[in-house]
This record gives sequence, structure tokens and C-alpha cells, in this order.
Amino acid sequence: MSKEFKALLLLALLFVLSFSASLTMGQYPVSLGDSFLALVRFDENSVEHVIVISSRLPRTVIACFVGAALGISGVLMQAVTRNPMASPSILGINSGAIFMIVLVSTLFPSFAGHGLIWVGIAGATLAGSIVYMLGSLGHGGLTPTRLVLGGAALTALFISFTQAILVINQDGLDRILFWLAGSLAGRTLDAFLPVLPYISAAVAVSCLIGRHINILMSGEDIAKGLGQNTFLLKTLIAVLVVVLAGSAVSAVGNIAFLGLIVPHIVRLSTGSDHRWLIPLSGLAGAVLLLVSDVIARQIIMPEELPIGAMTAIIGAPLFVILARRNFSYG
Amino acid sequence: MTKLSGFTFIWNAIYRLAVPKQPRKIKTHFSNPSLFIATGLAVFCCLVFQPALAQQESIETTRVIPHSMGETKITGTPQRIVTLFQGATDTAVALGVIPVGVVESWVNKPVYPYLRDALKNADIVGLETQPNLERLVALKPDLIIASKFRHETLYQQLSAIAPVIFLEEIFDFKQTLELMGLALNQEQTADDLLVDWNRRTEHFRQVLSSRDNMDWPIEVSLLNFRADHLRLLSRNSFSGLILSELGFEHSSFADTNGWIYKKLTSKEALPTVNADTFFVFLRSENPAVDENYDNWRNHPLWKTLKASRSGQIYKVDEIVWSLSGGIIGANMILDDLFRIYDVPPLTE
Repeated sequence: MSKEFKALLLLALLFVLSFSASLTMGQYPVSLGDSFLALVRFDENSVEHVIVISSRLPRTVIACFVGAALGISGVLMQAVTRNPMASPSILGINSGAIFMIVLVSTLFPSFAGHGLIWVGIAGATLAGSIVYMLGSLGHGGLTPTRLVLGGAALTALFISFTQAILVINQDGLDRILFWLAGSLAGRTLDAFLPVLPYISAAVAVSCLIGRHINILMSGEDIAKGLGQNTFLLKTLIAVLVVVLAGSAVSAVGNIAFLGLIVPHIVRLSTGSDHRWLIPLSGLAGAVLLLVSDVIARQIIMPEELPIGAMTAIIGAPLFVILARRNFSYG
Repeated sequence: MTKLSGFTFIWNAIYRLAVPKQPRKIKTHFSNPSLFIATGLAVFCCLVFQPALAQQESIETTRVIPHSMGETKITGTPQRIVTLFQGATDTAVALGVIPVGVVESWVNKPVYPYLRDALKNADIVGLETQPNLERLVALKPDLIIASKFRHETLYQQLSAIAPVIFLEEIFDFKQTLELMGLALNQEQTADDLLVDWNRRTEHFRQVLSSRDNMDWPIEVSLLNFRADHLRLLSRNSFSGLILSELGFEHSSFADTNGWIYKKLTSKEALPTVNADTFFVFLRSENPAVDENYDNWRNHPLWKTLKASRSGQIYKVDEIVWSLSGGIIGANMILDDLFRIYDVPPLTE
């Protein structure tokens, strides 16, 4: 059994465990049997069933998709920038999405809810395009370094704009503070459903282009020599990243470290074979976000920690360990 | 001599007479020694004798007010006061001293409707969490009322502008009333207000505890709905303190001095707010809040709560019950309670 297959089995097992944990654990005790029954034979008179379906299931499902989206967008970012430190938050995409959402919900307070996901994607697209243009200016064209520098500058810019808006409109801050730090609380499935097909499609396409990314990784010239249309591939990757990260951010706010950490953890067993790396990163991202959500719910009951804080608490030490092990990227 | 040279001659003569000769070296005020000494002496006199002069005027009306950040000397009766938190604004108006500067209200900006008439000439000096010190200076206040809870870090700067007193926190309206009465030289007014308050609360307690169709004391939860979460207020909050004084009990989780409010984001937390009666106030001006309230109300866990089953859920004004923070607001809470529980008004 190859290493990758073992990793797949392990992640699948962890996924099942964390999925069940997310359905059963919480302030109101629900047994495993009850949660299973709630899924298959829903009884609306049972309080446990209602809690599982109305409160825990949406969180669990959204955490799965958003975790997968963030994990995969991290892999794609690291591939296209050839930078192991790249993630959507580093290239300004997360902050662009957040800025756009804050701007729109300040100017049009009644806009909140379903439309915000599109606003997030629009913001992510804006940020991505600006970073791309900034990086391409001047002779030498788009190099990974330029991309990362432009991303860092743009992140700082969008974050300060966002904070300026929130300082001027402090009441607005109260409304979105919890969302800003990343939160799955109160998220309903019908708000998330419109975006679901797009995230699913983006995830599916990402898994399919793994082979092409492997070729891209061997170097720009080699890839071109082999007949690959690198420009088209990079554009496609950019679009996928924007859709994945933009919708993830607008659904649950800013979740740090996930896009950064998950590819490195998965690389321990798959190396840089993107045919395995991408789907397994998606799975690992989902697991990590589910676990973070469960812990965030339990620690300071009845209040909740923002999930972005939780992923940072889990992710930062992991990142330090990985960095010290001198991982090689290539 | 031609005509032109004649004119030139005359012009030169006039010019020399009219325009004085500018010295080439510009002498400053201080290069003239006697002038320098005179100026220095004048400044010195002003600096040294001015406090003495001031002291002579008001030596009999200087008070030392101890407060949470030290002591402040206040001379005379302050006329131009600036209040840096909502409760102080409310209390100042109640004491009859209209502030020249106030901080912005949280909702219904710039000032709450119930204070708008009184404060129509007042200046807004920024946010409660971020007062604009330059505007404060421009108002030339003679007393500033701040709170350690919000403005602890501004102690040095505020003291440099005017005498300032700090309230320990912003939720205990009686503390605010007493300290401000002392500082503003309105102790009698403050005492009268407190006596009146005590009479009203005693009346309420007596009427309610003597009713036999009512389970006294009533257990109550204070719920403040926002756009994305629910705030449970503890017995240490503004309205929590008032309800405790009236004899209400708080739900066991909220019966604590450890916190003022908790943000509940998950409906699974509903069992912690369980009580016989709910007083609900919604953050206004935001349709998302009504939507959120409906979401919470329609959840099955809400229907298992005691107040929901008995129907004892009362919607009240957030400004009065949570944001006012002063004696006027407190009396309005009492008005609400008198009305809700059918208590006859106090007759003289």
C-alpha cells in the first residue's frame, strides 16, 4: 500500500471521527445514536434531533466545504507562486474579500446575508487582479517574489482600510466583529447553499488539474517545452483560488493558517505529487476546521471562541515544528 | 531742469520724509536690555503671583474630591462641564447642570431622544470610547467627568485640560450620581433625587411582595439582542443592579459579579438564560436585529424556557434599559416596571 493511500485512509477515518464529533459535541448533550437518527429519521418533536439538524449540521457541513476550499486554495497558491509560505491570506485575497464585505455592509446595511458571498468573491477577485497587475509591472514580468511582495503590500492596505471603516462606524464593528475573526456560529445552510455548487465545482476542477500542476512545477521553460499552455493554467489556478478563498472568507470570515499549514502537513506523506496533494489537502483542511470548531465551541461555554483564533492556536505550533524540520519544497 | 527731474526731486523728498529709514540690522525685543528686563519681570510676576491671586478669590470654595484615580481639587461651582460617558450626561442633566460638551450616543446619534431638548446647545466631543481631546480643549471646560472603565489611559491628558473626576465604572448610576453631586456642588439635588428613588423602589417592593397571586421574588433574565448574537446581562449591569435592588432574582448563571454581559452566539446556550421572566431589548436601527430575534424565538429550545411557556416576555427600550446609565434612565426603567406590573404610582 503506497504512502499516499495510507494517508488517504487515515484522513478519511479522521474525517468520519471529526464529523461525528461535530454533530454530537456541544452545550446540549446529544448521543451518537441520536445524531445518526436525526440524519436519517428526523423527529421534529425531539429536541436533540432539532439541535442536530438546525444548529450542528449546518456548521459541520459548512466547515467541511470551507476547510476543503481553504486547504486546496493553499496548495494552489503555493504551486503557482513556487513559495511554500504562500496562502490566500498572504496574497491579499482574504483581506480583499473582507474589505469589500465590510464596505458593502457599511454602505448598505440591509444588504447583509445571502448576497455577501458574492461581494466576498468580488473583493477577492479585485485583490487578486491588483496583485497580479502590480507584480507584472516593470521589466522582468511576474516573478514569485514580486507576487508575494505585492500581496503583502495589498494585504496591509486592505486591512487598514477595513479598520478605518470600522473605526468610523463602530456600531458596524459590533455586528461583524465575531465574523471578522472567523466564526461558524449562526451560519445557516440556506445562506450557504447558493455558493455550494461553485465551491464544489472549484474543488473538483482543482483535483483534476493536479497532473498539469506537476508539469508546471518542473519549471516554466520545461513546461512550455512539453507543450503546456502555462499562461492558461496559471490563469485557471488564479480563478480557482479566488473562487475558493473568496467564498470561504465571505461564508465564515477570516480563518488564518489553514491554507498555509494544511499543504505542508499533507506533503509529509505525498511529497509534491499534486494529483494526491490537492484532494488530500482538501480532506485535511476539512478535518482541521471541524476539529477547531468543536474545540472552539467547548472551551469557554456558553460563549464561543472565534474559529480563526482556534486555527491559529493549533496552526502556529504545527507551523513552527514544520519549519524547524527544514522541509524542502520542490 | 526738466519737468521730469523736478518731479523726481519732489518724489525723492516726499519719499525720504514719509518712509523712515529701515535699520540694516534688525533689533529684536530682547536686544534692548531694559525692555528685556521689564518683560521678564512682568512674566515672572504673573507666574508667581497668579495662583496666589486665584487662591485669594476662592480659598473658601475649594473642595477635594476623591475618586477612582486619585483626588481632584475643584474650586467654586463648575459651570462648563464635559461628560465623557452616557451615564454622566444623563446625571448632569438630572442635576440641572447642562454640559457644554458630551460624547456621542450609541444609537439615535448624536444624543438620545430623551435628552435632546436639554442638550440642544451642547457640543459633541467624539465617541465615548474615543473622545476628541482637541475639541475638549476648545470648549474650555472647568470640569471633566470621565470613567476609569473607559478613559484610564487618558488620565494625564485630561488632567492637563481641566480638573477631572473618574468614576470607577459606568454601570452603577448611584455612584455616578453621588460623586457628580459632590463635584458639581449639587449635593442637595443629588440627595433629593436619591431619596425620591428610594421611595419609589420601596413602594414597588412593598406592592409586589404583598401580592398573593404572584410568586415573589420573580426570577428574571435580561436579554439584549444584536444582529449576530444575544447578550445576557448579569446582575452587575445597569439594569441588573436596579432589578436586584427592587428584589428581582437573576437566573443562576447571570447571578454573578464576575462579568457584565456574555455574548451568546449559539442557540444551544439558551438553557443558561432560563428564567420566569424575560426583559428583552433589541438594538435598534438595524433590520438584521429583528431577524435575529425571530430566529432565536423560533428555535425549539426557546420554547422550552420558562418565560416562553408562561408568556412573560416583555420588550422594552434598549436606550432606557441598557444605554442611558443614569438616574433619569433608571427612573424610566421604574416607570416601565410600574406599568408592566400594574403598580399604582406613588402618591405624595
